[in-house]
Amino acid sequence: MENLAQLGAGIAIGFGATGAGLGIGIATKGLMDAISRQPEIAGKAVGFFLVGAALAEACALYAFVIAFQLLAK
Amino acid sequence: MEHWVYVFHILGRSVSVNMDTVLTMWFAMFCILMFAFIATRNLSVIPNKIQAACEGLMSFFWGLMDSMMPADNRKHVPLVASLFLFILFANLMGQLPLRIIHLKEGELASPTNDINMTAAMAVIVLVYYVVAGVIKKKHKFLLKDFSFVSIIMMFVDLLEMITRPLSLAIRLFANIFAGEVLVSIALAACAYFAPLPVMLFEILVAFIQATVFMMLTMAYIGGATGDEH
Repeated sequence: MENLAQLGAGIAIGFGATGAGLGIGIATKGLMDAISRQPEIAGKAVGFFLVGAALAEACALYAFVIAFQLLAK
Repeated sequence: MEHWVYVFHILGRSVSVNMDTVLTMWFAMFCILMFAFIATRNLSVIPNKIQAACEGLMSFFWGLMDSMMPADNRKHVPLVASLFLFILFANLMGQLPLRIIHLKEGELASPTNDINMTAAMAVIVLVYYVVAGVIKKKHKFLLKDFSFVSIIMMFVDLLEMITRPLSLAIRLFANIFAGEVLVSIALAACAYFAPLPVMLFEILVAFIQATVFMMLTMAYIGGATGDEH
């Protein structure tokens, strides 16, 4: 059963990281679009981008916590 | 990663306390209290350096509250500002070389590396915004009228009362915990200079996570006390 727990941990962190990576990629695309359209708002946009990227990254970290709980058993 | 768990018995029940994070939490509280004491000792009209820094910090919080909340926002600044300062100090403390102090078991780590700590802060935020909303809107806090949309929104709000503290607690805990795991993996790879970029990244993460916690707290309080819904 330990092997199955390790498999589950790998699957969990893999899918979680996929979603977070897509989210941060889309956020970066939006940031680049905004800056290229209006270069003067770059400073403000980067602040919002960092907060949004942290929120998207948190989803991968939920998966990380689940994976760690699976491995810790 | 293991905590130094201290178990004591009270009224026939056993209570376990993670002593390592309690110690570092007291240290963070001591740092903030000393900073506040030194900053407010010689107040004058012409500020010295530290007073000017603190006034800049407070005007930063006030500007942020003005941009996030429509009216009557200054009274929420104490909670928001103390949460931000405490989380920032606690996160940055994780990058101090605390492991050279050997404990009986476990190792000293950042206080936010303990889910009990972050869950307690999330529950404080939950209680605060519910109480603030009830004080502001009286009986209309959850259920504005008996239309179909309002009843559905009441259930959504009730569900959010569970998911908001859960996500607040796990987000902060998991970020700091993942940072600790990354640093220890880099340490295992090469003990010299390999963990440095990871630790620099963790300093950035410390600032971002403190900001995210503060912004979400502001958004929740603003949503509970605001008129739009």
